[in-house]
Amino acid sequence: MGSLEGILTGFQVAFSLEGVLFVLIGVFVGTFIGMLPGLGPISAIAVMIPITFGMDPAPALVMMAGVYYGAIFGGSTSSILLNAPGVSGAVATAFDGYPMAQQGKAGKALAIAAICSFFGGTVSVLLLMLLAPALSSVAIAFGPPAYFALMLMGLTAISSLSEGSTIKALLSAVAGFMVATIGIDAQTGTQRFTFGNVNLLEGLDFLVIALGLFALAEVCTLIINRKDLSQENTHKIGSMKLSKEDINEMKGPATRQSLLGFIIGVLPGAGATIASFIAYISEKKIAKNPEEFGKGSVRGLAAPEAANNAATSGAFVPLLSLGIPGSGTTAVMLGAFLVLGVQPGPLLMTDRPEIFWGVIASMYIGNVFLLILNLPLIPYFAKILKIPRPLLISLVIMFSIIGVYAISFNTFDLYMLLLFGVVGFLMRIFSFPAPPFILAFILGGMMEQAFRQSLTISNGSLMIFVQDPIALSLLIVSLLSFVFPLVRQLRKRKG
Amino acid sequence: MKKFLLLTVFALFMVITVACSSDSSGEADGSSDDGSWEPEEPIEIVAPAGAGGGWDTTARMVAKVFNEESIIEESIGVVNKAGGGGAVGWAYVAGHEGSGHNMFVASPPLLFIPLNGQSEYGHEDFTPIANVIADYAAFAVAADAKWDNLNELFDDMKEDPSSITVVGTSSPGSMDHIQFVKIAKAAGVDVTKIKYVSDQDGVGLTQLLNGSVDVFSTGVSETVEQVKAGTIKVLGVTSEERLEGEILEDFPTAKEQGIDETFVNWRGFFGPPNMDEAAVAYYEEKFKELSDSEAFADIRKQFGWDEMYMGSEEYSQFLGDEKEKIQTLLDELGLGQ
Repeated sequence: MGSLEGILTGFQVAFSLEGVLFVLIGVFVGTFIGMLPGLGPISAIAVMIPITFGMDPAPALVMMAGVYYGAIFGGSTSSILLNAPGVSGAVATAFDGYPMAQQGKAGKALAIAAICSFFGGTVSVLLLMLLAPALSSVAIAFGPPAYFALMLMGLTAISSLSEGSTIKALLSAVAGFMVATIGIDAQTGTQRFTFGNVNLLEGLDFLVIALGLFALAEVCTLIINRKDLSQENTHKIGSMKLSKEDINEMKGPATRQSLLGFIIGVLPGAGATIASFIAYISEKKIAKNPEEFGKGSVRGLAAPEAANNAATSGAFVPLLSLGIPGSGTTAVMLGAFLVLGVQPGPLLMTDRPEIFWGVIASMYIGNVFLLILNLPLIPYFAKILKIPRPLLISLVIMFSIIGVYAISFNTFDLYMLLLFGVVGFLMRIFSFPAPPFILAFILGGMMEQAFRQSLTISNGSLMIFVQDPIALSLLIVSLLSFVFPLVRQLRKRKG
Repeated sequence: MKKFLLLTVFALFMVITVACSSDSSGEADGSSDDGSWEPEEPIEIVAPAGAGGGWDTTARMVAKVFNEESIIEESIGVVNKAGGGGAVGWAYVAGHEGSGHNMFVASPPLLFIPLNGQSEYGHEDFTPIANVIADYAAFAVAADAKWDNLNELFDDMKEDPSSITVVGTSSPGSMDHIQFVKIAKAAGVDVTKIKYVSDQDGVGLTQLLNGSVDVFSTGVSETVEQVKAGTIKVLGVTSEERLEGEILEDFPTAKEQGIDETFVNWRGFFGPPNMDEAAVAYYEEKFKELSDSEAFADIRKQFGWDEMYMGSEEYSQFLGDEKEKIQTLLDELGLGQ
C-alpha cells in the first residue's frame, strides 16, 4: 500500500524538528494576522511568500499552510469581540459570537470558537488523510448547474437570517444582489454600474462591505446609544470555563458541521464562507429553540466555527490533488507552491509524497498548536473590551481603515467603506437586517455567473438544472427548506 | 493590559510592514551631466493584479534576479494593484509621469482591455522599456474526448457551433477568449458563433474534467501536470515552433496542423508616460543583462517561459502591429469599442 508509506513519510516531515518549528511559525503568524480585523489569510500568505525564497519546499509549504488555516482560526476573534469580521468565513461567527460577548460572556465565546475551530480542523485533517485521493473526484463533480443550486441553497438562509420583518430581509438581500453586480460582467465583458469609474471595474471587495455594514455601523450605534456606556455587561469578559451544558450544546453542531464544512470546502469556489453560512442555517433549522439564534446561542457560534475551519482543510483537496485553486486564498497558496518549484496536481502524491503528506500531517500539529496558543491568550484578547469605549471605538475605526486600505492600497476603497458604514447605520435605524445583504452579496455574484454559464452551455434551456442530478437534488432541498416553514405556519394558524 | 499593548504594537508593526511595501515616493531625477542615468531610490514595479498570478510571478522573479545577481543594486519592490483587469494599476502608474523609479509588468491584456473600452490608458500612454519573455496558449480537451487534433475540433465547430463550449479564465474579448478566436478564425470557423464561458474563479479546468465544457483555453504551463497524469490532452499550442522541454515538446502547434496563425503571450515592462530617455536606456540594458543571465534562464525553464527580448523601440513597433490585428478580431466579434 503506497499511500501508507507516503503517510508515514509525511509524518516524518511534519514531526522533524524543522517541520514542527515551521508549523509553529506559520500558525503563529497566521493566527495573529487573522485576528486583526480586516487582514485575512490572503494578506497573511502574501506577506510570507518572500520569506520562503530559497527555503526547502517541504518546511516552507508546511509553514504556508499553517499561515492559511491559522488565519482562519484567528479570524473569529475580531468577529466576536468587535463585530468586525476580517475574513468572509468569519461573518457568520459574528451573528451569535458578538451578542454573546455583549452579554459579558466574551471569554466563553472565544473559548467555544477556539475549541470548535480545533475540532473542525482536526476532524477534517483526518478526513483529508483518509480520503484525499478519493475525494478529488468529488471536487470536480460540481458543474455550473450544481454550483448554481448550491448557491441557491445558501440563499434560502435569508428567510432564517431575518429577525422580524421578512419583507425587510428580502429588500436587504435585493440590495446585496445589486451591489454584487457592480463591475465588469465576466460573461460579456460589459461594465455594470461603474459610472465610468476605474476603481469600480473589479466590483467592491467583500471587506469593504463587511467592515462597513458590521464594524462601522456598530461603532455608529455605540456612539449614538450613550446609555450603552452605563451597561456594565459589555465590559465584562466572564469566565472562559465551559459548563457541561455548553459542551453538550456544542457537541452536535461541531460534529455535524465539521463534516458538512469539509465537504463544502472540497468544492472549488465554495469554501469557508459558504460552509459557515450553510452550517449556521442548517443548525438553526434543526434546533429546538431557533429563536435563540442571533442572540448569543452556543450552537449558533459552534456551527460556523467548526465548519469554516473544516472547509479550510477541505480546500486542500482540489489544490493538492488536482492543482485547482478553489478560491482567491488558495490561488495565492498555489502561487507559493510554484515559487518553490512544486507543481500541485494529480502527480504530486506520487512524485513528491513528502510534500503532499507532509503538509497534511503537519496540520494535526498545527491545530494542536493553535489551540495551545489561543486558549491561554483568550483572557488577554478579551481585555480589548475593557478598553474605555471612546478608545475602543477609535481602534475599531483605525483597524477597519487599515484593513480596507491593505486590499489594494487604494483610497477610493476607504470612501466606499465610509459609505457602507453610513448605509449600515441607516439600515439599523430602520431595522433592515444586515446579514441578508452580505449573504446576497457573497453568493449573488457566483450564483449569477453559474446560472449564466449553465445557460450558455445548454443553449438557453433551463432543463440543464433538472438533468444534472446534483443540481436537482440540491434544488429539491432548497425548495423543501422554503416550503416546510410555510406548512408549519399554516398548520399553526389552523390549530 | 501590558501584553495587549505589546500585541497592538506588534500588530501595528505588521500592518505597517504590509503597507510600506507600496510606498511611492518623490520623483528624484537621477540624470547626471554626461547623459547617463542611474536609479537613486528604490524602484517600484507594479503588478496590476493580485498576488500569485502571471504578472505577479513575472515581476517578483525579475525583481529577485535583478537584486540577487546584482544587476541593479538599488532595491526593487513589487506592489500589487489589482482591479479592472489591470486598469487600476495602469491608472496608478500613469500618475507617476516622468518618474524613472516606477514601472509595471504587462502582457496582451494591455492591448485588449483598452480596446474593450475598460481602460482609458493603453500601451501608447506608457513608455515601453523591454519585453522579456513569451508564453503561449494551449487548447486542451478531456483525455477521452473524440477530437485528437485541432482540425477535427474545428470541423465539428464549423458544422454545429452550438454543440461545443469553450471555457477560459478571462472575460470575453480578453486573453483566453481572443487567443482561441484568433486560431479558430484562421481555421475558418465562424468566430461570432463560438460559445465561450468565462470562469473567473479559476476553475475552468474543473469544468473541463467534469465534462461541463468541451475545450479549455489556457496557458501552456497550466496543462503540463494534467497531461502527465493523463486526464487531459492538448490539441494544439499557439507557438511558431514546437516548445522545448519534457511533455511540452509533444504538443503540436497549430501551424504544423495547417492553421497558419500564432498567438504570443508576451510579457514585458513599461514605464510611466514620458519616462526619461536616459532612464529607458539604462533599464533596456539591465533587462538585456537579466534576459541573458543564467539565473533567469533557470527561472524561464522552471515556469515554461520562452526567451523573447525586445528593446524599447522594437517593442513599440511590435505592440502597434499586434494592436491592429486584435482590433480587427474584436470588431468582427462586435466587442470593439
